[in-house]
Amino acid sequence: MALNRNTAVIGSAIAAPAANDGRALEELLYDLVQDALKDADLKIEDIDGIVVGSNDQFDGRAISVMMASGSVGGVDRDILSTPSAGEHAMVMGVMRVATGLYRTQLIVSWSPTEADSLSEAQRLGADPYYHRKLPMDELNVFALQASALTARCADAQALSGKIAERSHAHAKAAYPDAPRENHEGQVPWPLKPGMVTRPVTGAVALIVASEEFVEERGAKAPAWIRGMGWATETGYLGDRDLSRAPALRAAADRAFADGFLSGPAEADLIELTGATPYQEMIVLEELGLCDADTWAEDIDSGRFGVSGALPLNPSGGPIPINPVFCTGLMRIAEAARQVRGQAGAHQLENVKTAVAHAASGFAMMYQTVFVLSTEKQGAAA
Amino acid sequence: MKAPRVGIIGIGQSAFRAKRDDASYPDLVREAVVPAMQQSGLDFDAIDGIVYSLSPDAMVGIGNAERLGVDAVGGRMKPFLRINTGGATGISSVAAAYYQIASGASEVVLTAGADKVGECGDSQTVLNKIWDPIYERPLPLGTITMLAMSGIRYQHLYGMSQEDMAQVVVKNRKHASLNPNAHLNKEVTVDDVMNSRMISWPIKLMDCCPQSSGGGAMVLASEKFIKDNKLEAVWITGAGHCSETYYQGDRMGTGQTADHADAYALGKACWRSYEMAGITDPEKQIDVAELYAPFSNTEYHSIEAAGLAKVGTSVPMVNEGRFSIGGEIPVNPSGGVLCTNAIAVTAMIRVAEVALQVWDKAGAHQVKGAKRGIASGNGGDHQFFGTMVVEA
Repeated sequence: MALNRNTAVIGSAIAAPAANDGRALEELLYDLVQDALKDADLKIEDIDGIVVGSNDQFDGRAISVMMASGSVGGVDRDILSTPSAGEHAMVMGVMRVATGLYRTQLIVSWSPTEADSLSEAQRLGADPYYHRKLPMDELNVFALQASALTARCADAQALSGKIAERSHAHAKAAYPDAPRENHEGQVPWPLKPGMVTRPVTGAVALIVASEEFVEERGAKAPAWIRGMGWATETGYLGDRDLSRAPALRAAADRAFADGFLSGPAEADLIELTGATPYQEMIVLEELGLCDADTWAEDIDSGRFGVSGALPLNPSGGPIPINPVFCTGLMRIAEAARQVRGQAGAHQLENVKTAVAHAASGFAMMYQTVFVLSTEKQGAAA
Repeated sequence: MKAPRVGIIGIGQSAFRAKRDDASYPDLVREAVVPAMQQSGLDFDAIDGIVYSLSPDAMVGIGNAERLGVDAVGGRMKPFLRINTGGATGISSVAAAYYQIASGASEVVLTAGADKVGECGDSQTVLNKIWDPIYERPLPLGTITMLAMSGIRYQHLYGMSQEDMAQVVVKNRKHASLNPNAHLNKEVTVDDVMNSRMISWPIKLMDCCPQSSGGGAMVLASEKFIKDNKLEAVWITGAGHCSETYYQGDRMGTGQTADHADAYALGKACWRSYEMAGITDPEKQIDVAELYAPFSNTEYHSIEAAGLAKVGTSVPMVNEGRFSIGGEIPVNPSGGVLCTNAIAVTAMIRVAEVALQVWDKAGAHQVKGAKRGIASGNGGDHQFFGTMVVEA
């Protein structure tokens, strides 16, 4: 079911990795939001509502949205929070504008790395009786997923190195100054150093506006949201085949149907959330881009390189730069910037349509897909 | 631009208690989902969106505990997300479900959640962690001490006494005695309240809400779906949120952004809902209210913020029975937050109770002839406020 009204991204700001310059998180978020407002040529008074996505365990605070409400402009304003995922803030913001009750929404998500141990914070998300003691943090679940895919597909291990290599090459060109450090400690099998990097502090903001607002303000280069889908799997890993992601297929079907795309191959690029090469292969399969029989050919052919037929993660994606909780929203922001022609060093030529994929929770439990385009819904009709 | 109408077609809630060691956290969610689905007459295939209602993770001791609730709400492969605005989470979740339907993204949305506050150890220890770790956490602030300061300020400005606070408890406990789902449902006297242990002056033990365990669920649907399927419904006609500053210090002293005695942002949120619903004179147009007031003193400023009395005038009105069942505008006929507080769903229950009232399904605590009501939720450090108008 398509949304009742057209919406578009008209501004964004990405701080990932955030500069380690002594600013408090509140100061970082204030600067980020000011940058997004500047990008959209708006003032905070133009913002009707705010949706943020943050994680209490990473922030070390209960109800972590509270701290941010001042710095993102929440005082006197209508602010909601989606702690399930940073990208869910985008979903809710788009829906709020599509109701017709709001002209604009500011979407913000962040992910600090100051906790003594992100692993310990993540382990709190495992159920306390069965999984918490395993120990189950994101890195170990990445490995479980990778081993499940390796068991199903003989050449997954051989291809994983090539995917990591491409991702790092893209990141080196897109963000040459960003540190890309290997994940600390031993990386569990079958992952290898370079396939998963140390999480970075990051923050991302987007501004979504209604079609009427875009026209009234003459917003520059809007990235129209043509399709949006999101879905979840169960929280219990034992109930899932970790080598597959059916919720992604459900989310993608919805987004592509709304966006009148037969599939992602019609897009000019994809920004996807694969925190490891194995996750990327699962995403490629569930999006219908290629399957285990054609991975090797597609990956070897350069199809997914920046000068290939369908560039994947021209920003580098989360393998080299992973601001954990806002990685998904960062993919949406990167895709929107490509459509708006504002991606900077990694801008591709003639981008008309981009697909953004976000995933959060253990083993990509929450799946979200956006289709963004230079053309609004119905424009082609 | 007018959004399409959205109706409430199913409501479920637990009989809230201090401890539910017979039920796991997902069990409590399911306990509320089942009656909500039964009332709606739908099966899970009809649900095309889920908004999960859960406030601080630390209250249930599991990070992102909504992940463990996915199966309890029938969420696999469906659009699912969680809302958290602290104590306002429940009403924010209903609002989010409303937005999902009004945007055209879904036709039928289930919003549900649960809390085990009664089993969290000490909620104030958890709630101290909502404040800035450098400036305000060490005071130590808790939600009781925070709203005790509001009570002192209200006493100073408007002349409320501790006996006046006790009158709110007496009223709400009497209401709760008619509500089998209320946690504290025994009637008390002013003397009982006055003789209860001082917690943080002027708030005494009986001026405080309990720590409750239980679940809540609501099913919302588009007007088209309701009409096509000939379902019974009551209607959400107004929804609004507004926030105050994070720092307590910003609400006090000469540089205050708003007076801590009042509920400034709640007032703005109420008027956003009223404006959407076409209400211009709530004293005359509102029949019933369920206002989030976890401490007796805060019901006064909530009544005033909701426009049911002018600022500083509600104390004698409570004493005279204007806001009791049988009075002109009953406030918290369910007993309210003062008698039941399972934080993740408390504000959802406010909407649910108003819906039951205007639906004429509230049972023994029914307000006769109620056709239009206002619900509110407060979250954070008296920071996030959500409101909703529900009509028959």
